[in-house]
Amino acid sequence: MKLLFTNPLFTKLLFTNLASTKKVFARNMKLFSLAVLVLTTCVQYTHAQTSSAAASTSSAPAAKVDKSTPKIASGKWTGPKLEDGQPDIGGNWSPTFGSYLNFTDPEGISTGERPRTLPPREERAPSRVSDPADGKVPFQPWALAKVKEYQDFYANPIKPEFIDPLARCAPQGIPQSLYMHGHEILQYPGYIVFLFDQGNRIIHLDNKPHLPSNIKLWNGDSRGHWEGNTLIVDVSNYNGKSKYGRTGEFASENVQIKERYVFDNDGKRYNYIAEISDPSVYTRPFTVTVAERKWTEADEPRAVVYAVRKAKHAGSETIIENDEERACIEYNNPHAHLSVDRP
Amino acid sequence: MNYPVKKTPWRSGLTIIGLTFLSLVVSGTAIAAEKIPRLSNGKPDFSGIWQSTSAADYGLEPHNSRVDAPPDAGVIDGDAIPYLPAALEQRNKNFAARNELDPRLKGWTLGVPRGIYYPEPFQIFQRARDIHIIFQFGHSIRTIHTNKTEHPDDGYDLLLGDSRAKWEKDTLVVDTINFTDSTWLDRAGNFHSPSLHLVEQWKFLDANTIAYHATLEDPEVYSRPWSIDIILHRHREKNFQLIEDYRFTLDFDDIYPPKRDSK
Repeated sequence: MKLLFTNPLFTKLLFTNLASTKKVFARNMKLFSLAVLVLTTCVQYTHAQTSSAAASTSSAPAAKVDKSTPKIASGKWTGPKLEDGQPDIGGNWSPTFGSYLNFTDPEGISTGERPRTLPPREERAPSRVSDPADGKVPFQPWALAKVKEYQDFYANPIKPEFIDPLARCAPQGIPQSLYMHGHEILQYPGYIVFLFDQGNRIIHLDNKPHLPSNIKLWNGDSRGHWEGNTLIVDVSNYNGKSKYGRTGEFASENVQIKERYVFDNDGKRYNYIAEISDPSVYTRPFTVTVAERKWTEADEPRAVVYAVRKAKHAGSETIIENDEERACIEYNNPHAHLSVDRP
Repeated sequence: MNYPVKKTPWRSGLTIIGLTFLSLVVSGTAIAAEKIPRLSNGKPDFSGIWQSTSAADYGLEPHNSRVDAPPDAGVIDGDAIPYLPAALEQRNKNFAARNELDPRLKGWTLGVPRGIYYPEPFQIFQRARDIHIIFQFGHSIRTIHTNKTEHPDDGYDLLLGDSRAKWEKDTLVVDTINFTDSTWLDRAGNFHSPSLHLVEQWKFLDANTIAYHATLEDPEVYSRPWSIDIILHRHREKNFQLIEDYRFTLDFDDIYPPKRDSK
């Protein structure tokens, strides 16, 4: 890696990148989007706070954020099906609220973020942890200490391990990828493919055996099957390297994850439920629940959450297509790799 | 038949057998050609896991064996890529420093067309409206639109380009632009500029073999368009699957996740 600083192509790449407005624009757009996400979240609080006290003075109230997790019972699928019999649930999805900035307090203050006034906890969106009831990850003491250490040094990473793997273009991992930004689900005979903006997952529906246990992967090795409206996925071979959020919660490579994706028959919502078990890090298994919503042509595009554009074509119908290349913004340019050597 | 052959009574019989055999072979070939997988809309279905057995990634041009490459007769039309003089100089510099500069060594996105003949598998997921290719190396994803949409008017520079395709009978013709200069064509330092215009033709030779033909046009780098021909083979091993190869993460492999301190 040290070689990078002295080699001419590296320098060329660096300057080409700086010179290329398009690239810079694309990169800045993502950073900008992130800022917008944070800002919108803040604005939503502000509105939530002011709307009750001064509703009459608010000229443009923000759209209310739905913080509920709808009850979607596992049962029959009555919606449309694909040729191969799978429920047709493909398309663009995102969490109904929040992002990856804070795992147990999605509308709370994120790691490294400046303190600000928040509404009472019960008015903010619930923890991603739905069990145990206190919404906390049941960490063993040593692991909790590691999380706190990570948070303390997040803004001043004096060791390489205090840098979020995301900043190095590593995949978002499980379950973080399901609530970091938006995602797209594609369906094929024998497969479901999840596309995230930093990585993707191939869910095998053909019941083939898992990979040998010494193989460890950023997105694990997934086997799934449908039971009515519910996709059940067994994840193994997970390397435990991704965090659960900017707040630094983590697992080890011994983790076992069982996921359920329960789709509402109206095709508009699904609940993501992951049971996470790792006796080397936690005192008991815990459950993550994320309410997800569908985005369609009727919705306005939204950076990183529903990053689409209208495709150019001769016909008159609206065709929506992905607007951003699904590659890490720092991938293939020096930024992420600098941080490997220089935390 | 340059040599005189003595006529024998059974010769005409052999001819009939021979002709019958020939017609069987011909009709057999015809049947095989019809038995390629197809989507329900009738288009050839390339879904599956594919890989080239060629040495193309070691060097597209004909080359002798090197310490870091097997010999190969080349996969291009002609003996050399038609570089412009300055570009040839750059390629030679790239070649000399290939063991430091090849983006592959950093685990960076291989791009297009390199990902197609890089010696790791890729998986094609195909629908009527598009084809997604997931490359094992880097788990990067390429989308090829097959829904009569066109390149955007102001497209971004993309590691994998913007790909729009149409069907010409059973051949998929893919037109790709909007490249970057961050990707190489092979480990011998061959390269392109962001102005690369790539036209690929994908066609089944049989149900488990694809003939891949690519034409590269890049007026900033080449004096004329040139082409690559390789063959892709379907992985048919039992339970074969892609295994994500995020090797750029190896640099920090041992620092995550946090470990319990040893007492």
